[in-house]
Amino acid sequence: MLNRTAQPALKAIDKIKFIAPKEYKITPHVSLYHMKDVPNETTRFDLYFDAGKCRGKNAMASFVNGLLLSGTKNKTSIEINTEINGKGGFYESGISQENSVISVYSLRENIVDIFNTIKDAIKNVAFIEKEVLEFLSDRKQGFNISLQKVNYLAQRAFQEELFGSNKNYSNTTELSDFENVCIDDLKAFHSEYYLKGLSKVVVVGDLNEETIQHFISESIEFSPESKPTYIDTIENNAGLRHIEKNNAVQSAIRVGKILFNKNHTDYLDFLVLNTILGDYFGSRLMSNIREDKGYTYGIGTMLAELNNVGYFMVATEVGADLKEATLKEIQFEFERLKTELVPEDELKLVQNYMLGQLLKSADGPYAMTDLFISVELHKLDLEFYNKAIYALNNITAKRIQELAVKYLNWDDMSIVTAG
Amino acid sequence: MLKYDRFTLENGLTVLFHKDTTTPLAVVNTLYDVGARDESEDKTGFAHLFEHLMFGGSINIEDFDSPLQLAGGENNAFTSNDITNYYDVLPANNIETALWLESDRMLSLAFTEKSLEVQRNVVIEEFKQRYLNQPYGDVWLELRPLVYKTHPYKWATIGKELSHIEDATMSDVKAFFKKHYSPANAILCIAGNFELDEVKALVQKWYGEIPAGIKYNRNLIKEAKQTEFREKVIEREVPANAFYYAFKMPDRLHPDFFTIDTLSDALGRDKSSRLYLSLKKELNLVSSISAYITGSIDEGLLVISGKLNDGVSFDTFDNAFWNELDAFKTNAISTSELEKIMNKIRTSKEFEDMGILNRAMNLCSYELLGDISLINKESEIYNNITADDIQRVAKSVLQKSCCSLLKVKAKENVK
Repeated sequence: MLNRTAQPALKAIDKIKFIAPKEYKITPHVSLYHMKDVPNETTRFDLYFDAGKCRGKNAMASFVNGLLLSGTKNKTSIEINTEINGKGGFYESGISQENSVISVYSLRENIVDIFNTIKDAIKNVAFIEKEVLEFLSDRKQGFNISLQKVNYLAQRAFQEELFGSNKNYSNTTELSDFENVCIDDLKAFHSEYYLKGLSKVVVVGDLNEETIQHFISESIEFSPESKPTYIDTIENNAGLRHIEKNNAVQSAIRVGKILFNKNHTDYLDFLVLNTILGDYFGSRLMSNIREDKGYTYGIGTMLAELNNVGYFMVATEVGADLKEATLKEIQFEFERLKTELVPEDELKLVQNYMLGQLLKSADGPYAMTDLFISVELHKLDLEFYNKAIYALNNITAKRIQELAVKYLNWDDMSIVTAG
Repeated sequence: MLKYDRFTLENGLTVLFHKDTTTPLAVVNTLYDVGARDESEDKTGFAHLFEHLMFGGSINIEDFDSPLQLAGGENNAFTSNDITNYYDVLPANNIETALWLESDRMLSLAFTEKSLEVQRNVVIEEFKQRYLNQPYGDVWLELRPLVYKTHPYKWATIGKELSHIEDATMSDVKAFFKKHYSPANAILCIAGNFELDEVKALVQKWYGEIPAGIKYNRNLIKEAKQTEFREKVIEREVPANAFYYAFKMPDRLHPDFFTIDTLSDALGRDKSSRLYLSLKKELNLVSSISAYITGSIDEGLLVISGKLNDGVSFDTFDNAFWNELDAFKTNAISTSELEKIMNKIRTSKEFEDMGILNRAMNLCSYELLGDISLINKESEIYNNITADDIQRVAKSVLQKSCCSLLKVKAKENVK
């Protein structure tokens, strides 16, 4: 008779194979990373530029990023897009606080043509007035739509409070940003942070040496004279802020503070604490606020990283009348981690779960490349993940409690509600 | 070529095995042949609510998630108008935990009142978060009943209204389980670095004893042919006017299905597509426009949607829109334009096939359609599509008398 009540025996994950992409120096400060081991025709390249939000006033960084394919003296935006799309390429671009990233997905046979098109488009973008006005009008409409979302309102206000001590990091888009755009400012930003702002090139795909050398030689001119620097410290404004939104049926909540990134000695252990609290389906917050009380469809926590700092954040959307009750429960879960040891079986579960996630993060050339880039950003190498496995296997409930006491102080948190 | 093996247990469970030697992970994907189209009109949203209840503990196992997480895995599920699909991804050497969990909840659920009460609330919050508290979030709740008059596609998977979820009872839940959740109504796919014999033995061990259940025979009311243009205007607190033109198209197994998919790409996949070039870049009437198909198993939709620029009226746009469609129907796309569209389709296909989870889900979907071998014929079907085919389906699908238009009008105070 089959025993259906007992879980089948488990096998531990003892080893994960981490593979680094090959590094080529484009210049002393800029590298190209190539992951060659791809078993099919797919390819991707990413261009990283030092052209994040923190480099420009208002929405400058976001505008320039969105206008990169808007046309040159010799080519219209339509021609550029048709060259890329016609070769079956998918173009994505976006910015974060400190970076601008362009990503292109395509088949191997077309990657060089698409790269050449994009290089020419970025290098020679002319910021043609008609294109700029059209772009701003589209973006403004999108911005107005976002302002209707409590989630966006909360995230925007949270960013202002989180990066409170540094204006370059805390400033967010305003409606007025769309009115006061000067084409010369766009050009100046582009010339400083794109034409001389390349920080890294990442290539995934079974490509030959000649192709890689082509990417390298074509990238040299974008490389800066020196390595860019980023802030080392920043402080959040602690306390509660509410953004009123009429007729909202849900309220969005953000709770968090400035913390650290992979370079900090508490990082790996804090990651375990973060997972227990809110970073998996069975987390404390999900069990309490979703599965026990039904206040929300989802709640989660994260540890996000910048070049030299990081931040911790809780995010959720709950029924409009439940925001105080939810904040009370979040605080309750912070306190519980500070005052009670995590039970052994819960810790074991989280350890195994996190190992499984790491195995998944290293599965396949694309995932593996992203895993590598997330340590390279902090000047670390793949040895970091072996340390992570060790840390994960050896963490204690007491250590988690210590970290909770050290970092989960409710009075230090920036708290934002919108709704 | 996607390789697979297929076998059936005595109780009727269809099992697919896809071998992948390159990954340390395994996927266990379970498709239940039940979706929102199988609900009765006074109890909508039930297939989806039920999906949530499947995580509330089964007959022998109190909690679904914890043992899987302990095995280093994770899981999720989704419900569509056609199917309900559950998947687990975990380290391959712990696959037995997933089979233990999935087979137990196929055997029977725990049916606790607490789980029903909490998941009702969670789904109500999901309803609010995704459909009520988002600008344009309720569009599909409005569009479906405009387009479908009799077929159950007329309601969305989340349900017609919150009260249907609020009123769900335990006896509804049990009856639904009995009717739809059994080996006879399920397709299981296992993917990972295993041997076929090993998979057969494991599946037999965990699923072999589950009673077959009764094969559910679907007998849905067929949607009558639409013969008139329909239009509905709703006013909402949104900043921009939006339009949704929905054209009826044939079912998933119709020989023109992929041709119409390609037609939607030609019209509005990206910034090189016809409608983007004419209605946005040339005439500057819209901020965005795109075209796509719903891809449903029964008669589906080709939808063209977008948002108007400030100061452009619905009427101005509407005239230009139909002119553009007429032009498209008269002048077939060129071979080189078609080639570009096909390049994009090839790229997506190649990337889509990379993920082991995608492959497992796709295999189950094709098996459900009745002929799994179609999965390896898709590329060839696309390759054989000609510019004339596109023109032919454009003429048959893009007719005003088969079209329903939903306009979302911005309230003045928001604009």
